[in-house]
Amino acid sequence: MPEATIPAEFEVYRFDPAKDRAPRYQRYSLDLAPHTPVLSALLRIRAEQDPTLTLRYSCRSAICGSCAMQVNSKSRLACETQIGPEMERHGTIVVEPMRNQPVLRDLVVDQAPFWQQYEGIEPHLILDPQHPMPEGRATSMTPAQVERFKETPRCIACAACYSACPAVSADPGFPGPMALAKLYRFVVDPRDTAARARLVRIQPNGLWLCLRCHLCTEACPKDVRPSERIRDLKELAIAEQGGTENGSRHAVGFKENIRDRGLLSEMKIVRQTSGVLGLASQAGQGIRIWRKKPEILKRPPPIEGLDELEKIYEALDTPPKEGS
Amino acid sequence: MPKHEVVVVGAGLAGQRAALAAVEAGKDVALISKLHPLRSHSGAAQGGINAAVGAEDSVETHIYDTVKGSDYLGDQDAIEFFCQRAGPTVIEMEHFGTVFSRADDGSLARRAFGGGAFPRTIYAADRTGLALLQALWERLGTEDFTLYEEWDVTNFVVREGRVQGLVGFDRRRGTFDEIAAPAVVVATGPFGRIYGRTTNAHSCTGDGTAAAYAAGAQLKDLEFVQFHPTALLESGILITEGARGEGGILKNAQGERFMARYAPHVLELASRDVVSRAIVTEVAQGRGFTGPYGGYVHLELMHLGRERVESRLQEIVDFSRHFAGIDPVTQPIPVYPAQHYMMGGIGTTIQGATNIPGLFAAGEAACVSIHGANRLGGNSLLETLVFGKEAGAAAAAYVDRAPAPAMRETDLEAATGPIRIWSARTEGEDPSALRAEMQAVMERYVGIYRNEADLLEGLKRIRALKKRFQFVRVVDRSSVYNLNVSDAVETGHMLELAEVIVVGAYARTESRGAHSRTDYPKRDDAHWMKHTIATRTPNGPALTYAPVAYTRWEPKERVY
Repeated sequence: MPEATIPAEFEVYRFDPAKDRAPRYQRYSLDLAPHTPVLSALLRIRAEQDPTLTLRYSCRSAICGSCAMQVNSKSRLACETQIGPEMERHGTIVVEPMRNQPVLRDLVVDQAPFWQQYEGIEPHLILDPQHPMPEGRATSMTPAQVERFKETPRCIACAACYSACPAVSADPGFPGPMALAKLYRFVVDPRDTAARARLVRIQPNGLWLCLRCHLCTEACPKDVRPSERIRDLKELAIAEQGGTENGSRHAVGFKENIRDRGLLSEMKIVRQTSGVLGLASQAGQGIRIWRKKPEILKRPPPIEGLDELEKIYEALDTPPKEGS
Repeated sequence: MPKHEVVVVGAGLAGQRAALAAVEAGKDVALISKLHPLRSHSGAAQGGINAAVGAEDSVETHIYDTVKGSDYLGDQDAIEFFCQRAGPTVIEMEHFGTVFSRADDGSLARRAFGGGAFPRTIYAADRTGLALLQALWERLGTEDFTLYEEWDVTNFVVREGRVQGLVGFDRRRGTFDEIAAPAVVVATGPFGRIYGRTTNAHSCTGDGTAAAYAAGAQLKDLEFVQFHPTALLESGILITEGARGEGGILKNAQGERFMARYAPHVLELASRDVVSRAIVTEVAQGRGFTGPYGGYVHLELMHLGRERVESRLQEIVDFSRHFAGIDPVTQPIPVYPAQHYMMGGIGTTIQGATNIPGLFAAGEAACVSIHGANRLGGNSLLETLVFGKEAGAAAAAYVDRAPAPAMRETDLEAATGPIRIWSARTEGEDPSALRAEMQAVMERYVGIYRNEADLLEGLKRIRALKKRFQFVRVVDRSSVYNLNVSDAVETGHMLELAEVIVVGAYARTESRGAHSRTDYPKRDDAHWMKHTIATRTPNGPALTYAPVAYTRWEPKERVY
């Protein structure tokens, strides 16, 4: 008894730099069971309709990270995306190469920028010769210490996060979600002896360029939640050396500022973030705001229930118990 | 023409470990791979890596379990060498940065695997291969070597009785190129894509094995093909043996825990060949479930509880949800065996040397042999690392005494001649069609249960496909990332290897390990306690046989 099928319509990005002047979209139609993965559909198109359709693929089980692409404008693994829900939601399946990486041909992109960012965070254990690994036995590591890696060891380097990241689009110097999640993995590794150096290095080198849009976490097929790992890194960096960048000074200032009165003092946060000189450099804008909103020069009065707020702060400052 | 001292082909765990050993020996090393190394199929290994580090366990027991698991076809000297290095190998990988799962006391956590007397499979949740691959790649990344990424290797050049270099296809640039090297290590993994239902990645097409065979290397024991008992029904995606190691059970359509009939002592944790045959028998005798994708049985994890399933079998939960629409916390997983592992491969010594000076092999592409007629779960990851290191070190040592390689202009022409013809054709068959037919033939005639009539029919059909392959056509003419060329090269490689499997299976008139002949159901030690050796001739493989190395373990009947 064969399974029921539905008609599936594909619009696939095609571009061969050897002969095309511009990309085009090619339509393919085939009948497929609704749970068919987009990758299987593309491979059937290659086998039955068009062997020139070019894509990367290998394991077809979401573990090799080869087949990340844009499916109906979302960065996804083609092997893990079923055609049924896509057809239901969009009436068609538009397949395009990942973003933020130049297209080599059709759905194949040049991943060099992505790998360079990964290599840039020194993705290997850095050891201190003063503290060598235990001779002839494994390092002792508790399950709670393994928990600290969170889901970062699941990363398959598919680059779906890199493709989805608007900060990468805006600034190719931004390491991107994968590299930062990988950095987090080494920072929390009890065997690595360079956690502090890694944090000090990343503070001025892109950590605070993250826009906190969480599109990487939405795109990640392995639940690494890169945006949350970036947040973790930011907290660790501040704990290590306080605010050193506009981004971290803003975060630290914001926290102190609210704790003080329960309301944001706008003058103060600018000074906390950019310093006195920074404040001066923004005087023009300050005057414009002051004309419409003269109260910005005053410290806001303490809000009612400030003691309740203090309790929240105290609770947040208490480290959670291991493993909880 | 680029020139290196040691060229490693294949960048999974075996290839990377070989490269690291050769780099550490001070050699100029190149690593060639069809995929970015982190995308290698080693990363798909789920369950774990064996090392007898538990207080109750011993290296001696690991050796015995492996010998028994091999159905006495494994070379006992090689198995001893292998098991003795298990502990240090796992510790080295831990020191390289692998994030293993841990027991409460901070030691490496262990789980039970089929065919093992004690829980000795060390793991990283259910993504042990990925954890090892990342750690090794990140360790190797601190060394100096040349990476040739997204290259298909088409030919090894052997002249004057030794390796001179190789010819490959650079996918990105669309060019065929030569690399001169006195020593080549083949670590291209398996060729499960010969079969229709396989747990192997699409990239597992045995390119290095086929190129070595074409260059005169001897292939050993290719008829021993492991079928993993539990693969998802339609896709063949692997559900780790760790699922049974954690307590998962198998049930037929009558709700019966049928393994009691086949392996009364260890039930689901019998050796893989035993469990696969049990499932096939249940379905064939009408006690399986039926559906659009054929018969199957149930793998149940529900009784283990959500917490345990979700923490220890996280990938399995995801696989089941995404690829089968099943939540294994609350529902049984429909499973049926699928091709999983090639026990056979390029015949090597313990140090990875083949019959061709300068050509070395390691990992699943090689056959030392430690797995014999059936591999135990948890031994393959260990194999890649132990023998990858040996082969890399041996290749580096060989370079010191090898003459300089001498490639010729004509080597490239000779290697690429057929491909230029395929690409010039205006008519001919697409390689994908031939590949699909080969997969169906191997599935139907050379599967879990074999017999003479089927094998003869299979051989006839594979040979007919080989003939048709001569008229294959490459439709894509682009110079950029022309996958159609790779399709054709891979299909040609697989047809050669398929033929060796069938010829070896036809000749071996006994049942041993994964090779089950219904017409010869018993193991026949008097005649068949020997390795099959296949050498390529223009008329197909010529078979000879080689003795099994014995040390201390007398063959016994294998009961689980």
